[in-house]
Amino acid sequence: MKFLEKIRRYIRISEVAPISRRYFIMNAFDGATTVLGIVIGAYAAEITNESWVIWSGLGVSLAMGLSGFVGAYMTEEAEREKKLNALEKSMLTELTDSVVGKASRFASLWAGIVDGVSPALAALVCLTPFFLSSHGLFAINSAIQLSVAMALSIMFLLGVFLGKISNRNMLFHGAKMLFVGLIITFIFFMLKITQ
Amino acid sequence: MIRRLILDVLKPHKPGVVEVAEALSHLEGVEGVNVIIYEIDQQVENAKVVIVGSSIDFESIKKKLEEMGATIHSVDEVAAGKIIVEEVRTPQDRSARM
Repeated sequence: MKFLEKIRRYIRISEVAPISRRYFIMNAFDGATTVLGIVIGAYAAEITNESWVIWSGLGVSLAMGLSGFVGAYMTEEAEREKKLNALEKSMLTELTDSVVGKASRFASLWAGIVDGVSPALAALVCLTPFFLSSHGLFAINSAIQLSVAMALSIMFLLGVFLGKISNRNMLFHGAKMLFVGLIITFIFFMLKITQ
Repeated sequence: MIRRLILDVLKPHKPGVVEVAEALSHLEGVEGVNVIIYEIDQQVENAKVVIVGSSIDFESIKKKLEEMGATIHSVDEVAAGKIIVEEVRTPQDRSARM
């Protein structure tokens, strides 16, 4: 059986798709929000060196990625082990080597990967303007503006994705997520003004 | 040379009947498969599996079912040989039922 076909089969049997969708949206939102916080914090602190933002962002991406992977993998593994044990009891047989056991192990790994990669990826995308800025493509102020815009865009797109899943108004869901991002941005700017 | 096999199988809900039937039908010597679910529990379901072919390998059927997470409860009917011989009713069967 081809590799991709096998993965599709495991996803179907373990029913991990809805869980990984949830993990993806929750954590990508976390990743975008965290970098948004770092970027606005850098702006508030009037930091002129993009490497500070890049390294803080990379550190956060790595930490979020690792913690996401380990947390989701271990939680999912424990939950699925429990479910498999119950099924084995009903079947009066061991299912470790069957497609059910394999799918169960795959699901834990898959959930861990999605949970780890999604926040790190969202954070890295938001950091791109600073990488470009460090190569002299544009000034740090433009990088800050662009990065904030990218974080808000990611939030909007995640909302659109949610709208698509629920078969509802995609733009409305996108706007809802964007609104949350705007609130965070607004609070940060208010803090800066009242400083 | 097994031509027809009727099995009573216990299986988890996933993989579903479509997947099980398809996997069995791809085995060598198998020409047709019929899977009927006749009982559903919270965790598992019972299925009657009818397999027809030119030369069915019982071990490969058993292995495939185990691979799909299913177990054979009982082998209810086996037809082997050049032709499929149907069950024959005898007077004894009738009296036994009475």
